[in-house]
Amino acid sequence: MNFRSLPNLLLFFVALILATPAVAAEQEHGPADWEYFEKKVRPILHKRCYSCHSSDAKTVHGGLRLDMAALAFKGGDTGPSIVAGKPESSLLLTAIRYDDEDLQMPPKGKLPDEEIAELANWIKRGAPYPPTTETIQDDSEIDFANGRTFWSFQPIDEQPLPEVQNKEWSRQRIDWFVLAAMEREKLKPAPAANRAMLIRRVYFDLIGLPPTPEEVQQFVDDPRKDAYELLVERLLNSPHFGERWARHWLDLARYTDKNASWLSKTAQAHLYRDWVVTALNDDMPYDEFIHRQLATDMIAETGAEDTPALGFLGLSPNYWKELKLPCEIIKVIVADEWEERVDAVSRTFLGLTVACARCHDHKFDPISTEDYYAMAGVFASCRITEKPLVSTEHFEPVKAARAKVDGLVKELAKLKKQKPVPQEKVDELSAEIESIKSSTPNFNVAMANAVIEESLYIVRAGKKAQDGTRLDYRPQPRDLNVFIRGNPNRLGAPVPRRFLTVLSEDPKPFSNGSGRLELARAITNQARPLTARVIVNRIWKEHFGNGLVSTLSNFGQQGDRPSHPKLLDDLAARFVKQGWSLKRLHQEIVLSATYRQTSHVPSAQMKVDPNNKWLSRMNRRRLDVESWRDAMLVASGQLDRKLGGASSDVELAGNLRRTLYATIHRRDMSKMLQIHDFPDPTAHSPKRMHTTTALQGLYVLNGHLLAQQSEALSKRVREKSPADIKSQIGSAYWLAFSRPPNERELNLALEFLGPASETEHTAKWNRYAHALLGCNEFLFVD
Amino acid sequence: MNQPLIINDASQSSSLQSGGASVSRRQLLQSLGGGLAMVGAAQMMSATGSAAGPLQPHFPPKAKRVIHLFMNGGPFQADLFDPKPALVKYAGQRPASADLVTERPTGGLLPSPFKFKPRGESGVPVSELLPKLGDHIDDICVLRSLHADNPNHGPALLQMNNGTILPTRPSMGAWFLYGLGSENENLPGYIVMCPGRPVRFSILWNSAFLPTAYQGTYINHSKIEPDKMVPYLQNAKWDRQTQREQLDLMQKLNQEHLKQRESDQALTARIQSLETAFRMQSEASEAFDLNRETKQTRDEYGSGHFANGCLLARRMVERGVRFVQLYYGNGQPWDTHSGHNDKVPKLCKTIDQPISALLGDLKRRGLLEDTLVVWGGEFGRTPTSENGNGRDHNHHGFCMWMAGGGVKGGMTYGETDEFGFRAVHDKMHVHDLHATILHLLGLDHEKLTFHYAGRDYRLTDVHGQVVNKIIS
Repeated sequence: MNFRSLPNLLLFFVALILATPAVAAEQEHGPADWEYFEKKVRPILHKRCYSCHSSDAKTVHGGLRLDMAALAFKGGDTGPSIVAGKPESSLLLTAIRYDDEDLQMPPKGKLPDEEIAELANWIKRGAPYPPTTETIQDDSEIDFANGRTFWSFQPIDEQPLPEVQNKEWSRQRIDWFVLAAMEREKLKPAPAANRAMLIRRVYFDLIGLPPTPEEVQQFVDDPRKDAYELLVERLLNSPHFGERWARHWLDLARYTDKNASWLSKTAQAHLYRDWVVTALNDDMPYDEFIHRQLATDMIAETGAEDTPALGFLGLSPNYWKELKLPCEIIKVIVADEWEERVDAVSRTFLGLTVACARCHDHKFDPISTEDYYAMAGVFASCRITEKPLVSTEHFEPVKAARAKVDGLVKELAKLKKQKPVPQEKVDELSAEIESIKSSTPNFNVAMANAVIEESLYIVRAGKKAQDGTRLDYRPQPRDLNVFIRGNPNRLGAPVPRRFLTVLSEDPKPFSNGSGRLELARAITNQARPLTARVIVNRIWKEHFGNGLVSTLSNFGQQGDRPSHPKLLDDLAARFVKQGWSLKRLHQEIVLSATYRQTSHVPSAQMKVDPNNKWLSRMNRRRLDVESWRDAMLVASGQLDRKLGGASSDVELAGNLRRTLYATIHRRDMSKMLQIHDFPDPTAHSPKRMHTTTALQGLYVLNGHLLAQQSEALSKRVREKSPADIKSQIGSAYWLAFSRPPNERELNLALEFLGPASETEHTAKWNRYAHALLGCNEFLFVD
Repeated sequence: MNQPLIINDASQSSSLQSGGASVSRRQLLQSLGGGLAMVGAAQMMSATGSAAGPLQPHFPPKAKRVIHLFMNGGPFQADLFDPKPALVKYAGQRPASADLVTERPTGGLLPSPFKFKPRGESGVPVSELLPKLGDHIDDICVLRSLHADNPNHGPALLQMNNGTILPTRPSMGAWFLYGLGSENENLPGYIVMCPGRPVRFSILWNSAFLPTAYQGTYINHSKIEPDKMVPYLQNAKWDRQTQREQLDLMQKLNQEHLKQRESDQALTARIQSLETAFRMQSEASEAFDLNRETKQTRDEYGSGHFANGCLLARRMVERGVRFVQLYYGNGQPWDTHSGHNDKVPKLCKTIDQPISALLGDLKRRGLLEDTLVVWGGEFGRTPTSENGNGRDHNHHGFCMWMAGGGVKGGMTYGETDEFGFRAVHDKMHVHDLHATILHLLGLDHEKLTFHYAGRDYRLTDVHGQVVNKIIS
């Protein structure tokens, strides 16, 4: 499908005669002038310009072509390049004379003076340029009406259940669609997983932790018909559910615990992380979840306790702006920041790559450059800052008190440097500080990373470029002009802030402040079908290892088409109907027969559908680093299950908290997380990669985590049944793999542990436990 | 750390695992789109595993590996490789052509007090501050017309390493590994050494949206014991034999696990990677052990962090490491905003002998012909003075040099203006530098792309031209 209308082919000669001002000059010229051009001018253009500015260029730079008269006169992105008869007004001359620091052509170095003089002379003579009869292709407009017909933008409706032959297998609506596809592909579902396999799988998927041996045993022995349904309900209500699923969200939100070093440090990033955990545990409707993250401050019904939701924007990457530099440079850096916001918001919520349209209309999707600046304007109209977890009115006295205390603290520091120290005065000041602190309610209220309604203008600090730059924040929102080719120093027409054209017939300009709330609501209203499909697919992916649409954050032309389009629509439609409830969606997925299949199938069957596109078995999945580490802490009995709070270094001795609480630092990532495929937190990450590297192997052999947790595990099982080595081995298996060892495994253990002195026995047990934690069964879930 | 890299993926044919794997991996990665690797019914490919071998370049390469000597802070071009006698004539003045904006206000022109002499058969002038390096000038191509976009350390470091001032793009080393893999599966393919930390730290060698396995392995070589440099290299408690017994047990358990599940490539790949890791303990310990060099060699390189780094760099490339980046020092030692003329001779003294030894050593071992050595900072410095005795950052024009790896020696390329302030002739943007380095490695910078967030990304973005004139 092509979103662009058929190219208009113009007979160029006609257009030339009818339209351009250059025509007048043209008509006065005759063959002699053209001969002059061909002899003196064309060779220079050919030698110096055509490699980038002609039909021979691999890409035509700056939209300018100099190899045809009309195109040369029309100019490029920055306007007409030649004004016949007026070299001084011709941009071409400005560029080749290197008069303008930002426009110097050719970029490799200035032309010899005589060539510059020749081109000036040519323009002065009226710029004679022989006409051509070649046809050119018009740069066509985006056809939005056609664009709206793309699959992912279509309304979503519940789908009729398809006909299937096997009437026994299906448990949920999901299964009918999956089974119909299997039957069409001549596949059969794999047998159901046994309860031991199933409980381990669903624990990791829903709460990111393995079950305890007792929980496994209980479930396996549970005689109730709905034992699994009850188990799922219990897990969905576990506070660990939010911890597990928050981490998936934080990958999308490029969460970090440490903001850029030059920003204020009083805000606590983890408030955003904890807000996400709580929202997911409370099953906050997904539409509200979006609204609050983009604009909770603009929603009357939400209070200061929701302020941390703004961390999605408030923790955005911040690029250093050296204010000593001219504002033209700083404008580029700020433009890059706005692009980052557009990218993160559009990919996370809409599965669209809107940022591709910063420099030109999107090459594949019906998203115009105007659409991009309409959205970027929203982010240009808000400022990253810190906000207290109390209302503005309650914070006013705190702000004043804090300012006063800051002043007193400085004064105090000065006094303490005096010799002799004026003790009386020092005591007096210290007492005053304490008294202000204790008498001001909420003095220590936590600050969250957030945004406020202020727009940013980048202006010169003084009269000249050399005077540097000032960041000027103003209370009114601002619209952006199109930046020609993405360059903020070359402005096109202004664009009002509004939603994407393709997702809303005739989008209205935003009128409520920056427009954040209007944007958030457009995402869940006008763009509802797309937004719902995108999130349903993300949840599906985390349960099966692959999405129904494999490009999780690209639902555009370049993205994949859904493997089960009707299933996706049916799920998405009912997801919205059920009040955007994520928990109900999880429930439906994990209760399905599709999810409950075994992952053990004969090789012959694997080969029929090696990628398991048709879901005729469960995928075996590798744990991500969080679950892998957390599972070790559970096995060793060391896990600290406390929820929320500040992060700490994952490799810090004695850090026994869930890996969710490991410090994420954009500039200084933990080595341990880095080697285990933790995504780069400076950008939206739709999907974890799974690499297998030798450095991960080194970590298994020599890392602190396994060394410490294997000691704890070995101690735990030996203390439990001091005299009985077989039951020790049995416990270790249950703790590590939720099952007993088989005969061969037991013998391997006995052989390895062998007869030994007490000290040697302990060391051997530690190494044995280490081997259990390091092996494949601990890392892969069936 | 990068090899063997195995990406569990479900979207390609099984022919990838056999000997022909090399070319397809790149295509495969490209075909995967933004999300990349899916787990599950896995097809694997090994970036560098012995079965697969290294990846194929786009065309025959001149260089197989790169050493980048990074003078972080930014050295001044007219002190070292780009003599500017006009500075003397206009000393103290600020002619219109020298009235350029840099980060901080600067005053009049400040001549360099250091003398130049034509060196080697080529007679390319080299500063008296680098007498030993001058001996190698016939192998060196001096690039005098570099320019960049931002005169501020962070953005400039990012541009030199990652191609843009944004912290969200892969570093060039990550692109090298993505394009070529590594030649030694028992060592990281991309090593970054610094006795401390350069500004912006790990973002300078990150893999961003490329697989994390392509990121640089950072090594602080201020202490040169191998197990202090490479993370998790040694076991604190158990000797190799004991550890072997433990690994044997682990592998038996893995085999038992595998047997019950028939074939699963993700499982076998991990079994192999544990063996590689085990071998790496000895191989990397050996590779990073400077005590295995003769006294004569150690003496040749001299002493100090930078000398050690140069010698380690040679040991790395000798073992097939694709890209070694050596930062001169912690922070930004070449950032001479004051006392410039006092600091520069000291700095030069610590690099002259080690770099000279490195070039000589590489040449003797036959490595220089396919090892590209790149020298330079993130930008240069102003010919105008900052507060009388300092020099500010200068991105308008600065010097770098390259040697070996298919580059012509004994030549200069490009020119700055008469004061060395701005590149004016045969200008070479950082994008052009990257395009040229990729070209020398046999990679077309316009074809080495990665599809992410809706578009094909390149190290050179939409810019960059290969500078063919310097290629032999």
